[in-house]
Amino acid sequence: MPESGTRRVVVTGLGAVSSAGIGAAEFTASIREGLRSTSPIASFDTTGFPHVHAGEVHDFDPAEWLRRIEPGRWGRSSQFAASAARLAVADAGLQENDLAGSRAGSVMGTTSGESAVIEQLVAQWASDGLKSLDAGRVAAVPAGRIAAAVNSELGLNGEALTLATACSASNYALGYAYDMVAGGEADYMLAGGADSVNRWAHAGFYRLGALAEEVCRPFDANRSGILTAEGGVALLLEPYDRAVARGARIYAEVLGYSVNCDAEHMVHPDPTSIAACIRAAHRSAGVTPEQIDYICAHGTGTRTNDATEVAAAREVFGDRIPPISSIKSMIGHTMGAASGFGALICCQALYEGFLPPTAGVEDIDPGLGPGVDPVPGTARPARPEVVQNHGFAFGGNNAITVLGRVA
Amino acid sequence: MSTDTTTALTPEQDAQLREIIIEVLELEADELTDTSSFIDDHDADSLLAIEILARIEKDLGVTIPQDDLTEMSNLDGVRAVVVRNLGSGEHA
Amino acid sequence: MSTVTAEAPAIHTAAAVSPLAITAVGAVTPAGLGLEALGRAVAAGLPGHAEPPVQEDETLPPRPVRAVPDLKVAELIGRKGTRHLDRTTKLALVACRLALDSLPAPVGGGSTGVVLGTSTGSIRSSSEYSLETLRQERPYLVNPSLFPNTVMNCAAGQIAIRHGLKGVNATLAGGHLAGVQVLRYARNALRQGHADRLLVGGVEEFCAQSAWGWHQSGSLTADAAVGEGAAVLVVEPEKAAHAAGRRVLARVLACETGYAGRGGLAQGLASVIGSALERSGTAPAGITSASLGSTGHVGLDRVEERALRTALGGRLPDQVVRVKESVGECCSAGGVLQIAGLLGLWQREGAGSARTAVVTAVSRDGQVGCVVLDAGSLAG
Repeated sequence: MPESGTRRVVVTGLGAVSSAGIGAAEFTASIREGLRSTSPIASFDTTGFPHVHAGEVHDFDPAEWLRRIEPGRWGRSSQFAASAARLAVADAGLQENDLAGSRAGSVMGTTSGESAVIEQLVAQWASDGLKSLDAGRVAAVPAGRIAAAVNSELGLNGEALTLATACSASNYALGYAYDMVAGGEADYMLAGGADSVNRWAHAGFYRLGALAEEVCRPFDANRSGILTAEGGVALLLEPYDRAVARGARIYAEVLGYSVNCDAEHMVHPDPTSIAACIRAAHRSAGVTPEQIDYICAHGTGTRTNDATEVAAAREVFGDRIPPISSIKSMIGHTMGAASGFGALICCQALYEGFLPPTAGVEDIDPGLGPGVDPVPGTARPARPEVVQNHGFAFGGNNAITVLGRVA
Repeated sequence: MSTDTTTALTPEQDAQLREIIIEVLELEADELTDTSSFIDDHDADSLLAIEILARIEKDLGVTIPQDDLTEMSNLDGVRAVVVRNLGSGEHA
Repeated sequence: MSTVTAEAPAIHTAAAVSPLAITAVGAVTPAGLGLEALGRAVAAGLPGHAEPPVQEDETLPPRPVRAVPDLKVAELIGRKGTRHLDRTTKLALVACRLALDSLPAPVGGGSTGVVLGTSTGSIRSSSEYSLETLRQERPYLVNPSLFPNTVMNCAAGQIAIRHGLKGVNATLAGGHLAGVQVLRYARNALRQGHADRLLVGGVEEFCAQSAWGWHQSGSLTADAAVGEGAAVLVVEPEKAAHAAGRRVLARVLACETGYAGRGGLAQGLASVIGSALERSGTAPAGITSASLGSTGHVGLDRVEERALRTALGGRLPDQVVRVKESVGECCSAGGVLQIAGLLGLWQREGAGSARTAVVTAVSRDGQVGCVVLDAGSLAG
């Protein structure tokens, strides 16, 4: 029997470092317009790769955003995470001392940790052998530094936890942060995720036949796969009562979440297990399927994902599947940060009143069955009350969060 | 079908294909026949199917479109796909 | 640049914590397979097996090695479907097998979950995959079946698949803090009903990449060995263990973490040990044992000892365990191995001695943590 938290938990700050812009406002504006922000890869030499597009953050200068940590000592994913967290705190209207003097911590998700750092070391290994590894870069390798960077940057003295449950990791992080705030273990938590574009994942996804050439087109009959991407995202969580007391802008309330495991296959998702996860998330949030107004899909852009995700939704919602869209159609698959960006856009959808679109949908795949509404093109004005955010991952790690509008 | 396609493969290439499949699917040599199904008879999943494709591309220097995977459901199917792509595809 | 305050604010609103029961242990270490082997090595101060599991053409840095002698993969995991598993996953699978086999009866997979600590996943798998993209004629001529090995949650996913465990499946990139973090995560997951019981562990493989990484980093003393290992605990609510008639080997009374920032590590660790003692309802004088995590780390080992003395009123407990003297530096497996080392030792001591221990962890970046546990029916 789940033990529900004693405090209501709300999101009062949003931070994003993404190909669609730096800062939650820029990111949201780009998504609402349905702009595709993926582009030719610049971070590694793509010679020999048939497909060369990804969602890179080309114009990110960490020194512009970080005030306390020294960018050179940290990897790219840590820089993304710390910058996004810094932005979220500013967005929440909090001063540094508000956090440093409270019980505050961070929990960040990732798929490949500091993969860009690892690839710098692999380059050293390839040219001069393992004995040539650079000590400074070696120190930047552990994935646990992603949350550590957030705590160091913001002077937080609470927990610094990095969850490595691959592509659903940010949802895992959001769920854990919610529990910590609800249960009184923490007063503020930053939850989100970060990942960096890297060569090995690009090669691996291409080899699996899962990599799109130029356009990621979830739910479309002519979809051809994912685009790898990168970025950092952070949501600031605090108790509802405190947010109200300090007159904070409340984007959304975290209503509940669920996590489970397919235990079937490393790379093939299982609709029945995902449906069970959705139902458990609804129970946790105290809502029924009829109350869900929108699904922020995992929506990677592969045929397998679309078929599985829609089948799972159909098991739970029957013929009334809520509008279901994928922001990966615009920013690509940001891996461990993906469900964090999903959660961020859900918060904005609830606060500003819109449904995020799926870009590039021309023909909704008839194979998905009737009643699939991927909100094609640009954002649709709406007043969603309760939304759910999907994250699935390698290893069958499913995590679903439920967010609601605070009147 | 097997007669047509095997004639276009050298005996070395054919042996290579067999060896790749046996290794990837962790089979005893006599378990693999021309028509035994990778999925139904040998417990293959799609990841192993892609591994077979990848190994063939690498070891035989041939490029195989991912769409051909569905045809590569048994040894004869693999032969047909390889012959077709050896003939038309670029050579590494 | 201001320094971070190391003093953790007092905990007022957090609820009292109910103890978690450890009902099984699977230990795979350079001392051999099983808890007994580890207990024997720790009791006698024996170094573990010193032959590295290297591949051809690999050279290793000039420093001692500790490695698991024989994983018995075929016997303990099976023959089929193990070809693509990397060493990290094999170590974790064997540790789970040993833990589950030591339970009196099988437990249901539907309500069992996994919480596993790592630092980078298998750094051999990811870096070799990356190297392949540079070395192959075309960069995408990589093996698709090895791709899952490059993802950090590979071992946890494989454990779930092989044992049909459908509960929460989490991988925590905790590095040296992983031991404390997995127990904290487990405590919350059980409280939230994400599973009825959890396999909680840590795993780290020895490989040339990490051996050179440790060597080049300069963070280990010259004589510190690079090691490997995995330890997995079966953890469940104490009531559930009693109801099912499973023996409680030890009880986790508290697991607290904090972040001290650079310069405030000793004070931060002392403070988090203090919080852990308070939340466990244990007086400093009641601590009989300590299991240390920073053995062999330049500077950090002294920070850890100083913090422990501060928190315990100037003394160290009578029983101080340094498991790394036997297993070497095991990074993210270290924390759970610190616990396994204690349990192995207590098992040898047998009934009669009431034991309560602190298990400490500290990272250079600023993470600090402490677990408090007492002996269950091992020594009670």
